[in-house]
Amino acid sequence: MSSRLIDIITARDPEVRNRSLDAFCRTASLKELLDECAALEAFRRASDNLYERVRALFFLYAIHRFHLPDKLSPDLTGFGKPVRSLIPYDGYTHLLQRRFEEAIDCFLALQTADGPTEAISSALAEAYHRLGFQTLADQVRRSVRSVRGNQWMFRTGHPMDHPLRVRRELLQRSAEGLFPVLHEATPVRMDLSHSGWSDIFFLGMDFPEGARVLNVSIDLAVHGRDPAPRPPVEAYIRVIDEPLLRLVSVDLGAVAEITNLAEVFDYARDYLGLLKAAIIAAGIIPPGMEGSGERLQDLLARLIPSSRGETGIFSPAGGTKGGTYGLELVSQVNGIPKGSRLAVSTSLLACLIAVCMRATGQTQALTGMLQEHERRLVAARAILGEWLAGSGGGWQDSGGVWPGMKLITGQLAGPDDPEYGISRGRLLPGHHLMGYDEVSADTRERLQKSLVLVHGGMAQDVGPILEMVTEKYLLRSEAEWIGRQKAMGIYDEIVGLLRQGDVRSIGDATTRNFFDPIQTIIPWANNLYTTTLVERAKATFGDDFWGFWMLGGMSGGGMGFIFDPHRRAEAQERLLAMMLATKRELENALPFAMEPVVYDFAINEHGTVAELRTGTEALMSPSYYAFLVPALLKRERYALTHARRAELDRFGAACRTNPALAGMVQTLFDRIIPRADQEDVSQRTLDALLEELGFDRIQHEQIRADLRSGRIGLAQNRLSASTVIEDVYPGDVANCELRIANCESRTMNHESRIMIREFPIPNHQSPITNYGLQALREGRVAVVTLAAGVGSRWTHGAGVVKALHPFCKLGGKHRSFIEVHLAKSRRVGDQVGMPIPHIITTSYLTHEPIRDFLAQRDNYGYTGPLYLSPGRAVGLRLIPMARDLRFAWEEMPQQLLDEQAQKVLESLHAALIGWAQQMGEGNDYRDNVPQQCLHPVGHWFEIPNLLKNGVLAKVLAERPQLETLMLHNIDTVGADVDATVLGQHLASGATMTIEVITRRVEDRGGGLARVDGNLRLIEGMALPHEEDEFKLSYYNSNTMWISIDKLLALFELTRDDLHDAGKIDEAVRAVAARMPTYITLKDVKKRWGHGQEDVFPVAQFEKLWGDMTALPGMTTQYVVVHRLRGQQLKEPAQLDGWLRDGSAAYVESLCAWD
Amino acid sequence: MHITKAVITAAGRNQRTLPMQTLTDRDGAEKSVLAILVEEALSAGIDEIAVVVAPGDEGPYAATVGDHAGRLHFIPQTDPRGYGHAIYCAKPFVGDAPFLHLVGDHLYVSADTQSCAQQLVAVAEAENCAVSAVQATRENLLPYYGTVGGKRVPGRKDLYEIDTVIEKPTPTEAELRLIVPGLRAGHYLCFFGMHVLTPAVMEILESRISETRISESANQRITLSEALAVLATREKYLALEERALRYDVGVKYGLVIAQLALALSGGDREEILTRLVEMLATRELRRGA
Repeated sequence: MSSRLIDIITARDPEVRNRSLDAFCRTASLKELLDECAALEAFRRASDNLYERVRALFFLYAIHRFHLPDKLSPDLTGFGKPVRSLIPYDGYTHLLQRRFEEAIDCFLALQTADGPTEAISSALAEAYHRLGFQTLADQVRRSVRSVRGNQWMFRTGHPMDHPLRVRRELLQRSAEGLFPVLHEATPVRMDLSHSGWSDIFFLGMDFPEGARVLNVSIDLAVHGRDPAPRPPVEAYIRVIDEPLLRLVSVDLGAVAEITNLAEVFDYARDYLGLLKAAIIAAGIIPPGMEGSGERLQDLLARLIPSSRGETGIFSPAGGTKGGTYGLELVSQVNGIPKGSRLAVSTSLLACLIAVCMRATGQTQALTGMLQEHERRLVAARAILGEWLAGSGGGWQDSGGVWPGMKLITGQLAGPDDPEYGISRGRLLPGHHLMGYDEVSADTRERLQKSLVLVHGGMAQDVGPILEMVTEKYLLRSEAEWIGRQKAMGIYDEIVGLLRQGDVRSIGDATTRNFFDPIQTIIPWANNLYTTTLVERAKATFGDDFWGFWMLGGMSGGGMGFIFDPHRRAEAQERLLAMMLATKRELENALPFAMEPVVYDFAINEHGTVAELRTGTEALMSPSYYAFLVPALLKRERYALTHARRAELDRFGAACRTNPALAGMVQTLFDRIIPRADQEDVSQRTLDALLEELGFDRIQHEQIRADLRSGRIGLAQNRLSASTVIEDVYPGDVANCELRIANCESRTMNHESRIMIREFPIPNHQSPITNYGLQALREGRVAVVTLAAGVGSRWTHGAGVVKALHPFCKLGGKHRSFIEVHLAKSRRVGDQVGMPIPHIITTSYLTHEPIRDFLAQRDNYGYTGPLYLSPGRAVGLRLIPMARDLRFAWEEMPQQLLDEQAQKVLESLHAALIGWAQQMGEGNDYRDNVPQQCLHPVGHWFEIPNLLKNGVLAKVLAERPQLETLMLHNIDTVGADVDATVLGQHLASGATMTIEVITRRVEDRGGGLARVDGNLRLIEGMALPHEEDEFKLSYYNSNTMWISIDKLLALFELTRDDLHDAGKIDEAVRAVAARMPTYITLKDVKKRWGHGQEDVFPVAQFEKLWGDMTALPGMTTQYVVVHRLRGQQLKEPAQLDGWLRDGSAAYVESLCAWD
Repeated sequence: MHITKAVITAAGRNQRTLPMQTLTDRDGAEKSVLAILVEEALSAGIDEIAVVVAPGDEGPYAATVGDHAGRLHFIPQTDPRGYGHAIYCAKPFVGDAPFLHLVGDHLYVSADTQSCAQQLVAVAEAENCAVSAVQATRENLLPYYGTVGGKRVPGRKDLYEIDTVIEKPTPTEAELRLIVPGLRAGHYLCFFGMHVLTPAVMEILESRISETRISESANQRITLSEALAVLATREKYLALEERALRYDVGVKYGLVIAQLALALSGGDREEILTRLVEMLATRELRRGA
């Protein structure tokens, strides 16, 4: 079968190979697209070329995700049958279990039988996308394993086979009994131009010509805190006289004494995952030992023999009596925060690996710099270590191992490389060190005097961005591909400028790089914080501000600002003040992990360097002792080993004489006798806050008792197993238009109706639309925006106000969710000549930030009535029950991760269950800042709140003609006050009209169902069986039209009662008692140290408005709306697709900006 | 090239009694380890043999070799500066001639009629260059041996041209620098403890020894491997893959194992096997009872 897309994939001519998929798909018909899909599917199964397969997979993904759904009729499948938008549960299960081929077979079988639908395309897109990335990840993993120098580690499975020995220099104890300490110090890397994220492995391996970075090794100091720049990461290793592995992370304050082999492979058990990965990747505990069941002591005895032979030939059995020695590995990051975009964690991993390799004779020199082939091996091992620990770094991130400035470039795979014949490029790039003849000492000096390095304080997950870059590259999306060419041009320009010594022009080039190609490829690399900082720097320094420079994955964390050298010192001070002020303004809107800092930096011309401390100098760092000595002093002296006692004696002596240890005695004293506990202060604030917010202790204790006794919990959220869950009946859907006409005469058994309409509707002259327009003109409608939440999923528990998050550039500026909603109401209000009242419901977490934000921005220029409805209910989070954690992680279908990442996740789950048990299941969750301990209690309460807090009464007093509320989620950005839906709601006479959308694979969490024959909305967690959800064609968009008077009647209230607080309370309590209470688990971030974040699952309860549809007496109408209108933005990873599939353009078309 | 001299190193301070241990050889006669080694050398047509010993060991060693004592030259290593240095001590003995070198704590059991030394010397004479006997060895044993990297000599299955020599390499180094085409994965060519060396080796050792005297501490040990690594860059240097077995008598049970190996490859094979089986059976029967 001839296929134009296969021709593109297999073309030798780059002109053809780099053609965009989009260009073809835009003009192709549905049939052509389906034919191409069939051809690509056959091709990718048959092709034995890895990159052809992967590109075909990404083409298939993009066709199903972005192009095919547009060609389908909304009411019919591709075969002309009526839509029944279901996804087979079997296929979904395959997807979760990473059986992608089986999932694709299952989805394709349904597509063949019933014709293409939006639902099946969404599922296929997901499966192809994941299979594409899985194929790439597998290849990287294979390459990492097959790098020469790494292979043996996967073959070594028994201590007797262990071929490494600790170098004898490390065994020569001092007279006092101290073992020598081997110390490694490594700079971090900074990239002057990453050339459009070209340091992603997949890119380097497919497009080595385009994979180029300019990478500089630097030392750092926090400006104003540290005396002078020094290598930011350090590692220490020494032999100890105990048969165990002691791992110490000084910066994270963690120590573990490991005596069994399995624990070494348990990465997420504690904060020592990186050290464990280093021990393994360096071959000290080879990866082949995992699961061997052997004893760690035997392995250590083999590794550190107590005596060694002397002659030229050593005996295999000689010198293995041992069994008395172990190793201590220590990591230390010198106060440089996480997320600095300087590859701190990869540099630390490389530093640890280097010191371990030196200690075991895998490098020629024990001390000093490394040789080129050794650096390459350290880099390869660091890649292996990152894969083992389930994290992922870039291909240039070990750059700090090399000295000074270097160009790192992709390399074509040659016949001797394991990648040859599989991928175009090699896994490991080439490094070209730029000598002083290329970049003069003067240029280096001037660069250092111009550049201000900062950490802006934001810490974000760049994982999704790296996936987006890969995907766009493989698809050769037009704009992005042009962007990539531009980025490559700018890279050449920067390298040229550096050779010429023109620092000012470098600033210009890096700025252009950021604002043009980088944001063309990934708009999300920028954010409001960065834009504001750049604008303010320009305004403050004018021509003396030479440019902005984005370091690594995305902006907001590590960033560079280039100034005229004569103003650099001033810029350091003012930039810090600027960042602090801007952070204050935006900290409720954007996820900040820490206070911003300014760095001093110096180019490190040595790369990673080691020294051996022997004799009386054989001590660790001062921070090590500050961390460990208090605990050691609590132990009896006789319980310490000989070497430990000798070390403490030596440390004591050094404290008296060594200037580097000045102040140590005071430090230790403070640690041993802590000052006023920070925790107490925080607990007092939490209690005060609970008091202030009217926390209901009685209800809380009841929930706790119920939770502990098992009356409520995740398993109990579910309806009984005998409940019958069915999809809406086909007949209902088909006859919807008729039913509109006969709505009075033909009601269903549950007084609810379904009608299907697609929005936006072109015909604005229909009577229904006019009916709605009339209501709008008369001011009979108000909007209620639910904004009580803190976007747990949006920021993974960072606790920002989602409503204020400037999530996307629309109309040329970053816009927050609230601004978008107000802009839509402005447009409709302007069109009908009547401003629309807008009510924003808030909670204790979001009220003040939203109030202040709106006040500062003059309500975004919204001239209509704007009200805030403060939440009146608050809950206190609880430590989850281990039972519920197990239910969530073991009983519920879970997304299986890539092999190694899954291992890490399982280890984390075990650790978190241990945490819950240790903290006391069902206890109050208080171990965090107060805002993170409290929780909103679900959106059911938001409507009653309108009654209780008097906002509804106030609105009605100001606009008595008001009769309908359009209620929507903060993240349903496509929902506006549409006259047609309003008209239909009014015409139906229903209490509520609920908008639903056809289901896609990502739409999880319940939907519209017949529950024991009754039509209602049902929450995903209430469904008796997981697979029930896959019977449901429609997903709840949570946009609802509510008739005020009918709803009041349901509460047995009238408008007049809205001034009677007692009556309202009673009415609300009565209805609340009929609503189910769900227990849910939420991820909460706890921040500590320098930008470190832990995520804990905590239990909370909520009541949800959708359950109102099950109330007898509630008449509900359901309308199916277009996805553009009904879809919700739950995760930032959705944004890219949302922008590309036209959703963003649709939203922009609804908005009238201020 | 004609080889008439051999050097046996037996100066290890912790292995001084090993060469004097008595074993029953394949021919049923009782001999010391040193005597067996001397016979190995003689089988290869060697006339003169030097034994490098710790000072004071000359007399006891001479007493253990019986009739061969007259052929031996004992050379004391006064300064224990390593294996390479021990060989270098024999420089006055070998002069400018190539020589066979054996280590004093190993016994070699050939698989065929020719002894190991015979095969090695024959190859060295035919190829007219230094040759080391090597054996394909699993990577877990790398910490015990000098290891060579190189490629097969075209047309020969057992002969390699050596490019690199690394003393006790890590497997990481081995994978990067010592992979030899044709060997099983994770296997490398490790020294067998038997070499034919050329005078160039003595020159290299000499310069290495004088360098370390000047620049480094006197404790610096001189290895043979580093000299051989230099040799590989200077002249043709081959490795002969041995199918024979060698036994280290210096390790725990080393003597017993070596004795069993000798007995099982000699005239008393049947008898020893019968005894072994009998011993096992009796033991198991008693345990069962």
